[in-house]
Amino acid sequence: MNTKLKVSEISKIYPGCIANDKVSLEFGSGKIYALLGENGAGKSTLVKILSGVVKPDEGEVFLNDESIKLNSPLDAKKNNIGMVFQHFNLFETLSVFENLSIDSDKKDEDLRVLVNDILKKYNFKIDLDIPVLNLSAGQKQKVEIIRCLIRNPKVLIMDEPTSVLTEQETDDLFISLKQFSKDGILIIYITHKLKEVLSLCDEVAVMRKGKVVSVSKTIDEKIESLANKMVGENLNTIKKKINNFKNSEEILKISNLNFKSDDPYETNLNNLNLSLKKGECLGIAGISGNGQNELFQILSGEIITDGTSIMFRNKEIGKLNPRERREYLMAFSPEDRISQAAVPELKIYENVALNNFKSSNFFEKGLVNEKKIKEHSKKILSNFSVNTDNVELKSQFLSGGNLQKLIIGRELITSPELLVCFNPTWGLDVGAINYIHETLIQINEQGKSSILISTDNDELLKLSDRICVIYKGKLSKIMNADTVTAEKLGILMGGGSID
Amino acid sequence: MSFDLNFIGILIGAIMASSVPLILAASGELITERSGVLNLGVEGMMIIGAISGFALMVVTDNLFFAVIGSMVSGLILSLIFGLLTQSLLTNHVATGLALTIFGIGMSAMIGKNFVGIPGKEFPLLFLNLKESIPFLGPIFFGHSIILYFAFGLPFLTNYFLKKTKTGLIIRAVGDSPTSASNQGINVTLVRYSCILYGGAMCGLAGAYLSLIYTPQWIENMTGGRGWIALALVVFATWSPIKVLIGALIFGGITILQLHMQAVGLRIPVQLLSALPYIMTIIVLVVISRDSRKIKLNTPTSLGQIFYKEK
Repeated sequence: MNTKLKVSEISKIYPGCIANDKVSLEFGSGKIYALLGENGAGKSTLVKILSGVVKPDEGEVFLNDESIKLNSPLDAKKNNIGMVFQHFNLFETLSVFENLSIDSDKKDEDLRVLVNDILKKYNFKIDLDIPVLNLSAGQKQKVEIIRCLIRNPKVLIMDEPTSVLTEQETDDLFISLKQFSKDGILIIYITHKLKEVLSLCDEVAVMRKGKVVSVSKTIDEKIESLANKMVGENLNTIKKKINNFKNSEEILKISNLNFKSDDPYETNLNNLNLSLKKGECLGIAGISGNGQNELFQILSGEIITDGTSIMFRNKEIGKLNPRERREYLMAFSPEDRISQAAVPELKIYENVALNNFKSSNFFEKGLVNEKKIKEHSKKILSNFSVNTDNVELKSQFLSGGNLQKLIIGRELITSPELLVCFNPTWGLDVGAINYIHETLIQINEQGKSSILISTDNDELLKLSDRICVIYKGKLSKIMNADTVTAEKLGILMGGGSID
Repeated sequence: MSFDLNFIGILIGAIMASSVPLILAASGELITERSGVLNLGVEGMMIIGAISGFALMVVTDNLFFAVIGSMVSGLILSLIFGLLTQSLLTNHVATGLALTIFGIGMSAMIGKNFVGIPGKEFPLLFLNLKESIPFLGPIFFGHSIILYFAFGLPFLTNYFLKKTKTGLIIRAVGDSPTSASNQGINVTLVRYSCILYGGAMCGLAGAYLSLIYTPQWIENMTGGRGWIALALVVFATWSPIKVLIGALIFGGITILQLHMQAVGLRIPVQLLSALPYIMTIIVLVVISRDSRKIKLNTPTSLGQIFYKEK
């Protein structure tokens, strides 16, 4: 059975942003299509239109040459278009089976038989009667896929499916996707990871700023050619010098640190040990949700621990709060820019003032010294090439990249001895990522240390001097970065062990 | 001895009767909250149910109309809440509080002309069995139909939520409205239905007070029962059966302290009257120690405004 899907002249305009600008594409079954683009390129809007979540302002969708109306997710289902979203659409407190039965018209017994057949056919191993809450990210994704397969989809759309998976889980996913494709399902694969496009897909369409800029066969493409199409400019590659820190002074030492949380959504940390030398970057890899949040909060002082397990420049800082730690020249860039690092409703200079301490003199006799703060803010904006010079601008109007530059700038302008960042380039475009990476390398060259907690392995391998992996709240052995490969990280991130 | 036993039976019967409004209101609110909507207007909907039930009884002289009317009035009040929170996307907490204040004021205004009018006798079932069987008689018989309904309701609610498709959909909406919407579930419709059902049950709870429990109209006669019902839902960690148990505990303490007052114990009356409320707090604190369990049972999206992408 052949399936042809065609989108024609699709446009979708949001206030201040053209998400899709006359997008036209054609797909046919038996092939895996990649839809490639940076964040904000319009990929997600397009797939939301195809799955009926968002209505286009203009344009039409054709399935097997017939125009179809996709006014709601139900319409997409009726037309056998299945969709696995980047953020899972699962009900965490319901069981796996309840999650599947909720959108099926079949009787429970019949559905169970069908699901078991699918599990067997594609060699999935999932307990149907436990709450989704207890599943790993990879298993949750399988539940999403099964939910689509139940409806015999003609089209299966995967939106950035590997962002939460380990290397091993990614391999498994690719095997399954190839199998689905062989079974006649048309697969559209949305990603910004170039390697995946080359290893999985047959054809690739590149989107930039809401437009399709290129459609080609993947065998005709290379990583560099795709990257340049995606960004629209030639990027210079960054390389870090390898240093030896054997004789450097130790700046941070964590010994036998434990953290036990009352919150079932948090991860406990077990017996953490690490040390950091002056001028060194320590990378901490791992799949999100393995304790990175808790580790960051312990380092930043959002979680207070016992006094003795964290030593920073020979002082015990475990009991100090974030502001007191900043006095000792630590700096922090949390993962969530909007809700943790900055207050979006406040102006730029007000956000800068939030990170004040005694020596900054932002406040005098309990009053705000606005002039001083604004001068200071202007310095940050120009030193860290934030794309505005208006310190009165509300932070919410900065793009992710500019906001991250502001946050990093705010932290670095005080010349801290240690910067702890958590996914500093999450969701940023390639240009901003490059800038942040250059900045992070620069601070190491200036003899300052950094801890980089990240879920992006390429970033970690690029920037770290030493790397370890966090898995279920435990740290692996700390390895020199030049001995580590992405494959090794993948094994450790999935809970495996290497010699 | 048999006299004592019978007295205990009567006491238990009285405890059951006093917990009925709590069971009804809390069961209704439980469904509302399970869909992710936090309606703090329970007290307001109850008192509006109480006055409309009583007023209709006086005007029409028909108890059936009175009961149905009380449910409709609770439903109308909850419809206002629904319009505001679901269609105009106002904050659940603020809107619910406003609803309670509105309900109390409105009921006092309507109720002006009904103060001092005697109520009508509500038919009680199996009265002869109540008299003839010692101990068990007063427990199981001689109650109004609404009491039997109230005691069946938690079990029905439990079955409904756990075993039916509609119940599953409500739980799913409460867990993640965005996911539900992406699955093609009409979140707004589900939440509206749950809000209206909750309103009707609160109205019925009010009618029970003004038509059966103390058949007359007294201003502010719900006396904070709506708030207790709200607390009960949390205390019961959104489980209907635990709501029933909780309501019986609160009802029990209410009745027992009345008896203690009557016996003339040398404890200040004010303290005794406050006892059920104090116990609410204590029980809540004790139960809430297991924050893990509560978190896992809480409708994750409770109180969150749902906005559908267009």
